[in-house]
Amino acid sequence: MIAKRHIVLYLMPAVIFTLLFFVFPLLYAGYISLQQWNGINEMVYVGLDNFGLVFHDPVFKKAVINTLLWICCAVFLHIPFGLLLALILARKPRGWKVFRVLFVLPNVISTTAIAFLWYFVLHVNLGLVNNLLKMIGLDSLTRPWLADVRTALFAHQLPFIIYAGLTMVIFLTRISAIPSELYEAAEIEGATNWQKDWYITIPLLKSAVLINMILNLTFCLRMFEYPFLMTGGGPANETVNLGLYMFREMITAGRYGVAMAAGLLTIGIGAAVMGTILALGRMTNRRAGI
Amino acid sequence: MKWMRSLFLYAVGTVMLAPFLWMILATFKTNRELFASPFGLPEHWLLDNYAAVLSRHPVSVYFYNSLIIAAVSTLLALLLATLASYIFTYTFRWRTGWQLLLVGGILVPTNAFMVPYYYLINWIGFYDSLIGIALVYAGISLPLSVLIIKNYMDTIPPELAEAAFMDGAGVHRTFTRVILPISYPGIVTASIFLMITAWNELLYANLLTQSEGTRTLQVAIRFFLTTFQANYPQAFAAMILAIVPTVVIYALLSEKIIGGLTAGAVK
Repeated sequence: MIAKRHIVLYLMPAVIFTLLFFVFPLLYAGYISLQQWNGINEMVYVGLDNFGLVFHDPVFKKAVINTLLWICCAVFLHIPFGLLLALILARKPRGWKVFRVLFVLPNVISTTAIAFLWYFVLHVNLGLVNNLLKMIGLDSLTRPWLADVRTALFAHQLPFIIYAGLTMVIFLTRISAIPSELYEAAEIEGATNWQKDWYITIPLLKSAVLINMILNLTFCLRMFEYPFLMTGGGPANETVNLGLYMFREMITAGRYGVAMAAGLLTIGIGAAVMGTILALGRMTNRRAGI
Repeated sequence: MKWMRSLFLYAVGTVMLAPFLWMILATFKTNRELFASPFGLPEHWLLDNYAAVLSRHPVSVYFYNSLIIAAVSTLLALLLATLASYIFTYTFRWRTGWQLLLVGGILVPTNAFMVPYYYLINWIGFYDSLIGIALVYAGISLPLSVLIIKNYMDTIPPELAEAAFMDGAGVHRTFTRVILPISYPGIVTASIFLMITAWNELLYANLLTQSEGTRTLQVAIRFFLTTFQANYPQAFAAMILAIVPTVVIYALLSEKIIGGLTAGAVK
């Protein structure tokens, strides 16, 4: 049907890029993970020692747990919050278009700037939060949010949780595609707004939920800016995640092999979580008979 | 019920946006004023902080760097993705396999490739250059671009290409005259995604540059944080300057951007 030279001509540029930026890095990361190397001296083959080192490193364990907590944040707080906003805006209250534009605005601003902003919002004496608390007389609640072991983790995830605008519009677009006859029929039966949301809208949002899961999962796995800029992984490694762990192993400690061993494990964890989500999605689809 | 809904929306809007307003207000204050009254209006609306930032830092250079990197990486990824997506509208051997290869990267957390990308860019001689960062961004974004554009092309009825073939158009002519013009919305969607991602990226912009001449806005924001340590209003002014371009473009094109973001994600 189509000549081979045409296939090669159109396909090869993209394939070459994929080989350069995905296949080669994967193989090279695998190779480096077996070496002891600081980026300058000769590499020394150490077998699986780097993986052993990583597995026995309590900081790595903390990084894995925190990365999983980031994903939990996405699944149990960020996505439900985005869904709630979408359900409210879908009823088209007054000014809903303005709210939609405003809620998405933080999502086009860089994570770097947001991290910087919230670093100061949560700052101990300068910060918006502590000064608000003082103003309403709750001085006892003020604390160095990002430096307190009990609050640092949640505090530095806060901007991610509340800036759910992109997640919201993905739900909104799907909601607007639901045929209005369904709602009209429910109205005749006397359904309330919340009943309509619960029995009609939410069950039909499965595909949007899946998309949001995948988008936010990759966002959480790649998460680097919030811990790097807001807490530096501290206090006492309380907020270190996999992105920051790799960065510190490579740049600060100069242990390239360890960094790449952690990198491969990150890819593996990502694949495992993604597989679970896709499997769960397929299971619920089958049960619903879709 | 209705007023509760409105109240909730206003509350959410306030929590989301008050920090930005607070920071903008602070940029007009002196350091002492900021500490004395964190919420008060500034005594005099000073522009000194902005003037100081602009005179001490080549903000326009950072802006230019970010712009060039975003534009080049987006164009490159779009070109590669459009060519590949077009050929996927034909059937040929191992087509599904090639598709998987090109799209599969979407699931890879690419910050795991810090060491490989660093050496790859060094070997091809683009360390500390705008083109090096743009290449990496184009590579990272390629899977998503292919997915979005291919999905869009899948919605084009095959009769169109067949009709062009009947009229004697070859593979290239069908591409440039028929498929490419109709795929325009899909390409716009992908480009919005790619521009925003490239403009906002920090890790690789930081890792692959070292001199001030190749610093992007995001890397610069990080340096503002350390250089203005003692003078917060100036650091705030620097950050506001860095996000103003994004906000202005968003304000002008918000409908298109929101539409593009969702069309790309939902398809």
